[in-house]
Amino acid sequence: MKISLDLQLKDVPGQLVKALVPISNFGGNIRSVVHMREEGPKGGRIPVHVDLNIDNPKSLEKILKDLEDKDIWVSKVGEIRKKKNITVIIIGHVVDTDVRDTIDKINDIHGAMVANLALAMPDPEEETSARMDIDVDDAEVVKIVLKRLDKIAKDKGFIVVKSLGV
Amino acid sequence: MRIQIIGFGNIGKGLAKVLIRKEKLLKKKHDLKIKVVSITDVTGTAKDDNGINLSKALEIMENGRGILAYPKATKMNGIEAIKTIHADVVVEVTNTKIEDGEPGMSHMLQAIKQGKHVVTSNKGPLALKFQELNNSAKKNSVQFKFEASVGGAMPIINFAHETLSGDKINAIEGILNGTTNYILTRMSKEEKSFEMVLREAQEMGIAESDPSYDIDGIDTACKLVILANGILGIKKTYKDVKTQGIRKITPEAVKLAKEDGYVIKLIGEVKNNNLEVSPRLVPKNHPLNVEGVLNVALLKTDLAGDITIVGKGAGSIETNSAILSDIISIWRTGI
Repeated sequence: MKISLDLQLKDVPGQLVKALVPISNFGGNIRSVVHMREEGPKGGRIPVHVDLNIDNPKSLEKILKDLEDKDIWVSKVGEIRKKKNITVIIIGHVVDTDVRDTIDKINDIHGAMVANLALAMPDPEEETSARMDIDVDDAEVVKIVLKRLDKIAKDKGFIVVKSLGV
Repeated sequence: MRIQIIGFGNIGKGLAKVLIRKEKLLKKKHDLKIKVVSITDVTGTAKDDNGINLSKALEIMENGRGILAYPKATKMNGIEAIKTIHADVVVEVTNTKIEDGEPGMSHMLQAIKQGKHVVTSNKGPLALKFQELNNSAKKNSVQFKFEASVGGAMPIINFAHETLSGDKINAIEGILNGTTNYILTRMSKEEKSFEMVLREAQEMGIAESDPSYDIDGIDTACKLVILANGILGIKKTYKDVKTQGIRKITPEAVKLAKEDGYVIKLIGEVKNNNLEVSPRLVPKNHPLNVEGVLNVALLKTDLAGDITIVGKGAGSIETNSAILSDIISIWRTGI
C-alpha cells in the first residue's frame, strides 16, 4: 500500500536521515522525499513530505512509533489510493441472463465498479460478446472481482477472457 | 554415438532427414558420428549394427510402406528393440496419447532401465508422469532430454537450464500452440468466424482433422506441465491444469478486444504453483503478441527480469532442431 507522511523535522543537520532510517528499518520503500520549505519553519521545525510503500499496515504502526520515539513529529498520515482498471470480455447469453444482475453482482463488491460496457449481438439467438471495464481500488479487490466473475460465468454459462497479468 | 529411433512418423522421419543433412557438420563441429542402429514403427523394427541407410528407410516410407519393408526388418516392437539392441540413446517420438501416455511412457522407462539416454518430443508421458521419468533417469544415471516437447524450435528448456542457470525463474507465460495462434490471428485480421478459420487451417494442414487436442487447450496444458516440472520444479500433472480452449471465441469478442487495443491469445501460464490455460486479452504492443503459427514464452526471472523467446512451434524439421540439440548436448557431456 502507498502511504504519504507529513513530518515536522527540527531545523538542525542530520534530522532527515534520522527520520528516514525507521522507515527503511521497518520495511518501508521510500518513493519520494520533498522538503516543503516554501511553507516555512513552524515552531523551529521544517515540514517534509514523504511517499512510501509498505507491505502491511503493521509496518506503518512500527514506523510511526519509532518516529515518535525519535522526536519526529508526524502531522499527517494518508493512504494514497490509485484506482486500477481491468478489462474483461464476456461471451455468452449476457443479455438474456439479466445483464443488470451481472453488473450489480460486481458493483456489490466494495471498491469495484463497472465503468463501461460494450455489447456486440450478432443475432438475438446467438451468444453475445461484451467488453467490460471495471474500476477497482487495489490488487486485493482485483482478486475478489475475478473470483466473482468466475462464479457468475459458472452460474450463467459464460466464458470470461481476462487481461494478461491479472 | 548409437541411436535408436522409436516412432517413424513426421518427427522420426524429420530426424532421419536432419541427420542426413547435418552429417558432415556434426563430424566437423562436434566430432560426432551418429549411427542409427534401429528404427521402429507400428509395423516393426529395422536394425543394422553398422547403421541403417536413412535415405533408404525414408524412401520406403515415402512409398507408403512401413519400416517392416526395410531389408531384414522384423515385427519386433519398441520395447523389444530397446531391450535387445545395443545403443547409447533412444529417441522416443511416437504419437502422444494423453489418456495414459502410452506407448511412449513404457518405451522411455525401459530405455532408462537399460541405461540408455532418452531424447523425446513426446508430451503425453511427460505431462502425466514427469517426476517418475525424471527420477528414474537420475537413479539410473542417464540423461533425460525433452526440449522438443515444448515449442518445437523455441529453445526454452535448455535456455532456462543453461543460459539462465543463475536466475530464479518465478513464472512463465506464453503461446505454446501454433494452431490456436494461427486461428486467433486470422480471426483478428480477417474478422472471420472461428469455424471458418478452423476449416481454412485444416485445409492448410495447420490444424488436424480432429482439432480438439489443439483448440481445447490440451496441447498447451501438456506443455505447461512440462515447463512447470522441467524449469520451475513444480510437481504438477496434466490433471492439475485449469484448461479453457478457444472454441467459444466469437468474431465479435475479437473485435471488441481489438477496439480497446487488445488481441485474444490462448495463453498458458504457470505462476504461484498454479497452472492455467485460457484465452486472454493481450495488449497489442506486448511481447506475447506474436502472429501466425509462432510460439512465444515470457520467463519472469529474479536477475534478468522478463525474457521473451519466440520460435516456430511446430514442423518436423523445426522440432528436430531441438532433438538434435539434445543429442549433441548428451554427446558433449559424455555418453
